[in-house]
Amino acid sequence: MRAVNLIPADQRAGAAGVGGRSGGGAYAVLALVGGLALLALLYGLAQRQVSSRRAQVASLKARAEQAQATAAGLAPYTSFVALREERERAVNQLVDSRFDWAHAFHEVGRVLPTLASIASIEGSVGSSTGGSSAGSSAGSSSSAAAGAAASSKASGVASATPPGTVPTVTISGCATSQTAVALTLNRLRLIDGVSEVTLQSSTKASSRSGGGATAGRCPPSGPAFTALLAFAPLPTSAALSAASAVPAASLGGAR
Amino acid sequence: MTARDRMVVIAIAVFGVLGAGWLLVISPERKHATNLQNEVNSATSQLTAAESQLANARAAQARYSSAYASIVNLGKAVPPGREVPALVYELALASNQRHVDLSSIVYGASGGGGSSAGASQAANASLAGFTQMPFTFVFNGTFVDLYNLFQQLNHFTARTASGGLQVTGRLLTVQSAKLAPVTNGTEPGSKKVGPELLSGTITATAYVLPASQGLTGGATATSPGSRGSSASSLSSTGSGASAPTAPAIARVTP
Repeated sequence: MRAVNLIPADQRAGAAGVGGRSGGGAYAVLALVGGLALLALLYGLAQRQVSSRRAQVASLKARAEQAQATAAGLAPYTSFVALREERERAVNQLVDSRFDWAHAFHEVGRVLPTLASIASIEGSVGSSTGGSSAGSSAGSSSSAAAGAAASSKASGVASATPPGTVPTVTISGCATSQTAVALTLNRLRLIDGVSEVTLQSSTKASSRSGGGATAGRCPPSGPAFTALLAFAPLPTSAALSAASAVPAASLGGAR
Repeated sequence: MTARDRMVVIAIAVFGVLGAGWLLVISPERKHATNLQNEVNSATSQLTAAESQLANARAAQARYSSAYASIVNLGKAVPPGREVPALVYELALASNQRHVDLSSIVYGASGGGGSSAGASQAANASLAGFTQMPFTFVFNGTFVDLYNLFQQLNHFTARTASGGLQVTGRLLTVQSAKLAPVTNGTEPGSKKVGPELLSGTITATAYVLPASQGLTGGATATSPGSRGSSASSLSSTGSGASAPTAPAIARVTP
């Protein structure tokens, strides 16, 4: 015998599935409404961000323009202070690139032994002293001067005594003996800042022919001597800028 | 179409609507907000720079009077004009103070070259920045007096122990110095005669501001003027635009 289901087909359990009688339409509407609400929320947040950031940009730009306008009004002050700093730096550079002649002469007087006397002192910076035996020191002086001139041109101010040049001093005088001349040379090496002492000549009256600057002044038994002192090169621009950070302790700001 | 198929179609349709809404409405708005955030960042940095510039300008305004005094003081060391009378006066005063006789002044580096040679040399000495003015001075005095004089010439413009500048006179750079005994009869003007009297010959350079620069660039003690003189004009030449309207020339007075 064949079993027959007497319940109507549309009322049997599970006949409508998970969608129920609407066939899932209700869920779809719910999902759509929920999704649209979420989208609306996100849109609102983004819109709020946009408007607040627009206002922020406008405010910042207005403040920046105001600050720039005020700064532009004060620009002459800024330029003037910059001019002062630039000029002060230039003068400082010139002051620092000087050689302290007074100190050098004082040092010569300090170290000179009593057995020797000086007839003349001649010194120069930035060029050869004119003596043929100035030799390597004068050569290095001129090459250093060329480099220093280039660097000082780059910095805007050219010093008459460019950094890097070698100051040289030629001393002519008399001594009581050749031993005294040797002692004098040794003592001249003690001068502050001297890098090299070179004897150019030391001649007694008996062997002098014609004589130099001191020929007629020295006693016959004492030799007339000429010595060349080469000092340490003037500080370069880099050294000057480094030294400017440290308070200048040297007298007169020279060398 | 079965119920399951209908569900799938409806789900796809819902996701499609939501996706289209995201892509067409929300995403552009969020992108716009991101762009605006970049603009905010840019405007913030612009504002920071402008405020820093303003702070510098206000600081410069606060320092103006001291800067003016300083630049006028520097004018004693490097004046806008040659100011040769002031230089001679300074040297004569220093010589008198050190009991040294100022024997001669020659404009130009070579003492024996005469004034015309000196002038041409001086004309050629205009280098970048300050203009150089070479001089040759001859002083007569004792070793100690000449030493003191050289020291005083250095101290016209000198660095202080604290690293600042002390300006009491013209900035001079001594290039060469020669001390030799004064022979009797050759120096008729010398007051002292004796073996201890020396003749000191100095080749020195004084400096002058370029013609294109005024001392203060048109500024007065109370205001920097309508236009500020650029600092870069120190190294520029020939512009002629920064001529001072009321130059505060610092002169050495007795």
